[in-house]
Amino acid sequence: MTLEVILFYAFALLAIGSALLVVSLKNLARALFLFFIVLFAMAGLYLFALADFVAITQILIYVGGVLILMIFAFMLSNKELLADLQNTSKQFLSLPNWQAAVLAIGFLAAISYGIYEWQDFTPDWITTNLRNGQVIKPTDNTINEIGYKFITQYVLAFEVISIFLLMVLIGAAHISRREEQA
Amino acid sequence: MYELFIHILIPIAIFSFIALFTLFAVYAERKIAGFVQDRLGPMETGKYGSLQTIADILKLLQKEFITPTVADKILFAAAPVVIFSAVFIGFAVMPWAPDFLPANLNTGLFFIMAVISIDAIGILMAGWGSNNKFSLLGSIRAIAQMVSYEIPIGLSLISVVMLTQTMNLNEIVFQQGVLASDPIFFFGFWDVTQIGGLFSWYIFQAPHLIIVYIIFFVATLAECNRAPFDIPEAESELIGGFHTEYGGIRFAFIFLAEYAMMFLVSMLGVILFLGGWNTPLPNIGSFALADWTTGLYWGIFWTISKALFIVGVQMWIRWTLPRFRADQLMNLCWKVLIPIAFVCMAISGVWRIIVMV
Repeated sequence: MTLEVILFYAFALLAIGSALLVVSLKNLARALFLFFIVLFAMAGLYLFALADFVAITQILIYVGGVLILMIFAFMLSNKELLADLQNTSKQFLSLPNWQAAVLAIGFLAAISYGIYEWQDFTPDWITTNLRNGQVIKPTDNTINEIGYKFITQYVLAFEVISIFLLMVLIGAAHISRREEQA
Repeated sequence: MYELFIHILIPIAIFSFIALFTLFAVYAERKIAGFVQDRLGPMETGKYGSLQTIADILKLLQKEFITPTVADKILFAAAPVVIFSAVFIGFAVMPWAPDFLPANLNTGLFFIMAVISIDAIGILMAGWGSNNKFSLLGSIRAIAQMVSYEIPIGLSLISVVMLTQTMNLNEIVFQQGVLASDPIFFFGFWDVTQIGGLFSWYIFQAPHLIIVYIIFFVATLAECNRAPFDIPEAESELIGGFHTEYGGIRFAFIFLAEYAMMFLVSMLGVILFLGGWNTPLPNIGSFALADWTTGLYWGIFWTISKALFIVGVQMWIRWTLPRFRADQLMNLCWKVLIPIAFVCMAISGVWRIIVMV
């Protein structure tokens, strides 16, 4: 086993193990901080798919932004609400354990079947590119390619996202602004 | 096997550098504080108090682990590790000399931005885990400050990246000296590719980057939670902020992280704006000072001395300026730094298209 394989399995084990802990822990604060490890391990797995840009973006946005927002939301919510959340077994929305297990196994079966089918019928463009050697290498500078694609092929989507983000910014500024005194 | 050995050796080397730097930086900080406040600083231990910080660290190492009874034990113990490793990982992509860096990533600059944001999680962990009102208030202040000030930092980095066209820190430094592959113009008109030195640094390649550097410097000062932006650990209001409950080696690690962060951001500023490992001495005719003072050992020397100079400026500012109030801090960030950074970013785009071609 090379170092890369060991690292891959370590990240995968970390992601699965801490994700299981996140959903099973009774202590919500610890679960939220554990979620940080899940996201981090996911970023590590993205690296193995040679998606270094996605991996770093994952850490920057999810760990630096979303997770902190979640922790703040947790800190600002009141104690009764949290207590309710922790005893949800009697509520109508919650699933009994055996149903959840059936659902999880069903999803696992669907995914495994998909992977099994995929191996037999690989799309043509993948096989031709593999034969011509048109594959991404770990040393390739993918970030420049992403930049070019953003302002050529995917320019519409990129601009729509930027306008959406601008709307969010303006909305946030409007909500947080102090009402002017009459 | 040899590669594995290198992979282990480099982090140890960087860690020992950080530890040594912290020891002497704390001593320097006290001496600078003494100078600014017209007193002597530490004088008792060793000649001129030079052994003071070594005595301090020996004391910290011997101390008992004290965890408050109602604290969240796991979070409390994990927080210093997260805080320190966040800063420590950042050193992985820092170039010290030509082609002499732990990891030559194409996404180096972006990586550092991401890694620095992990620091905030560690501080929140420390504040929540301590189960102390002062710690929690301190950590919430720290997060509010760090999340806000990441925006001017990001914008100032974008201004530079628009000119460099790469996020690889190694290549960014190569573009600022005699080893550059592309022609360099001082202020956009004087070809200094062969002259190098001070004139080819990025702040002089495009004059608006001087303003960008000031924004970057102020924002990183806030990111390090240093005075005048030290409201997260304001001693007069919050006792010690998020590290109120910490003692012994755990406190030592938080302290180490703070000083490592100071060095990291100073070094990042040096790499992006002040030429990194490039020499400040230009080639003057047959006196090829720039060619003579470029190389592996010279590179390490210039990087460290420039970064230490910036750290010195940070300390000088800390002991000179009073602390900002929370609302003044936010006003400075959102109403002053961010608009100016946006204007500079626009100038960068125009400069790249019209002047640098």
